[in-house]
Amino acid sequence: MMVDLLAPLAADAILVIGALSLLLVDLILPPGEKRILGYGTIGVLLAALISTFALDLSGEAVGGAYEGDALALFFKRGFYVSAILASLASLDFGAKIWPRRQGEYFQLLLYSVLGMSLLAGVRDLLLLAVAFELMGVPLYAMAAFSRKDKLAVEGGLKLYLTGAVSSAVTLYGMSMLFGASGSTNLAEIASAPSSPMLAMGVALTLAGMGFKLGVAPFHMWVPDTYRGSPPPFVVLVAVAPKIAGIAALTRLLLAGDGALLDSVSELLLLLAWFTVIVGNVMALPQDSVRRLLGFSGVGHMGLLLLGLTTGTAEGIAAMLFYVAGYIFTTAGALLVLSAVADEDGNDGLARFAGLSQRSGFLAFAMLVFLLSLGGIPFVVGFWAKLYLFLAAWGAGYQLSVLFIALVGVIGLYYYLRVSRAMYMTEPTVEGPISVDLGTQLAIALCLVFVVGMGLVPQPFVAVAETAASVLR
Amino acid sequence: MTQVVLTIAAVLFALGIYGVTTRRNAIGILLSVELMANAVNLNLIAFAQTLGSDGQTFALFSIALTVAEVVVGLALVVLLYRTRKGIDIDLASDLRS
Repeated sequence: MMVDLLAPLAADAILVIGALSLLLVDLILPPGEKRILGYGTIGVLLAALISTFALDLSGEAVGGAYEGDALALFFKRGFYVSAILASLASLDFGAKIWPRRQGEYFQLLLYSVLGMSLLAGVRDLLLLAVAFELMGVPLYAMAAFSRKDKLAVEGGLKLYLTGAVSSAVTLYGMSMLFGASGSTNLAEIASAPSSPMLAMGVALTLAGMGFKLGVAPFHMWVPDTYRGSPPPFVVLVAVAPKIAGIAALTRLLLAGDGALLDSVSELLLLLAWFTVIVGNVMALPQDSVRRLLGFSGVGHMGLLLLGLTTGTAEGIAAMLFYVAGYIFTTAGALLVLSAVADEDGNDGLARFAGLSQRSGFLAFAMLVFLLSLGGIPFVVGFWAKLYLFLAAWGAGYQLSVLFIALVGVIGLYYYLRVSRAMYMTEPTVEGPISVDLGTQLAIALCLVFVVGMGLVPQPFVAVAETAASVLR
Repeated sequence: MTQVVLTIAAVLFALGIYGVTTRRNAIGILLSVELMANAVNLNLIAFAQTLGSDGQTFALFSIALTVAEVVVGLALVVLLYRTRKGIDIDLASDLRS
């Protein structure tokens, strides 16, 4: 009976059991052999990923607070894949920088992924609040994991302060949602009669989640945390929690008949416009490539918000396909960056000068990722943007599409600036770059998917469409 | 009665936001965040009076969540003190471009 009740949460159960087992293994391992814990973590994540394909995870669990549908599976796979990519990058970095504390780092990573994984199919306000915090709190600790590094502590503190304020705002919004509807069930909240309190609640919850997503004007932590925190952690924080924020927003706003989305669609559209402007314009003067990618990531969130605003099946499907492309493209670019940055984390354009002569593979991979971020044909970013714009155009958002597409052209400038540094200038630092095996594997994986999804997008679009079809 | 409590909660929340934006001391900011969290709890308890005990359950969860968050926050403040010899958040401004 108990097993039946929790069957849709089998993948999450794998994460819990795996994390707790690794905690015990950590206790008995001698200090020199902690590296195994990283492999174990990747194994646990892989097992969870495989379970989403091999097991039937559909149905309701925990009294209807969670429902495993196609959309939940889609997001879960996204979280597991991005966590695997981040773990691959952390293997050597962790063994070198914090050899005795590798276990703790991967523990935190697994708990954070567990929070995201629960968010994917959330149907209840209470579970939404708990899962959102479970995702966020481990990230604060991981950001400052290099505890003697001034910049890492600063990046972590900024992530924490914005995160803590945002979750207080989110909870305040949720208390109003409860007050206006008398229920914690998302579908029942959506069907409650509209009132000022309900609208206020949705707006506050949206604002709070906007902080986590890095949506302008709540994006201030993004570039600082990207720049200060350990590079493998940035691979995690730039992708998984943002996708989780999108998942939470999708679940909340499109619950029931989507009445909540209709009540805030103008606000969402305004945020999307503002986010795209801030992300693209602020990226222009950046020298640190990580800060640049941080702002560019802010810009991409604006596009995702546009997809969410449409609320149509096509719009959501296009947004999901964009999410899939975003995972591999952003993670790939940040993985290359973690390989190119020096020990102190310096990642100015000068570090990228003449990269093609120092490492042909890294330069080529970065070029592909940048082209994909910029939306150039034959890589996934192009199709993702195209589908998103077509869906938004069809849903009646022509003006927004034109505007956002035009602002996106600015993005090409700074993507090409990095590409030019890699291929057209002489290296300022001599010698080939040594990249550890884990990072190489992760970059290769991203490269395969970015190019593969660019050449044959149809199967991935079909998956996104199936996932989106469960809404409305 | 509910209206009164909701108003007090809104005032508390506003005070919290004011504190977060004006305080420069990291502990002070954490305390202001606590004010905001307590406004949430007051809200939930007030609603529970008329809407049923779900609100009280929610408040319990909310308290636990805030505690977990503040623990990590205090640890980060300790790290800030160790790396910068102070807990004024203006000390942590090396990343501004």
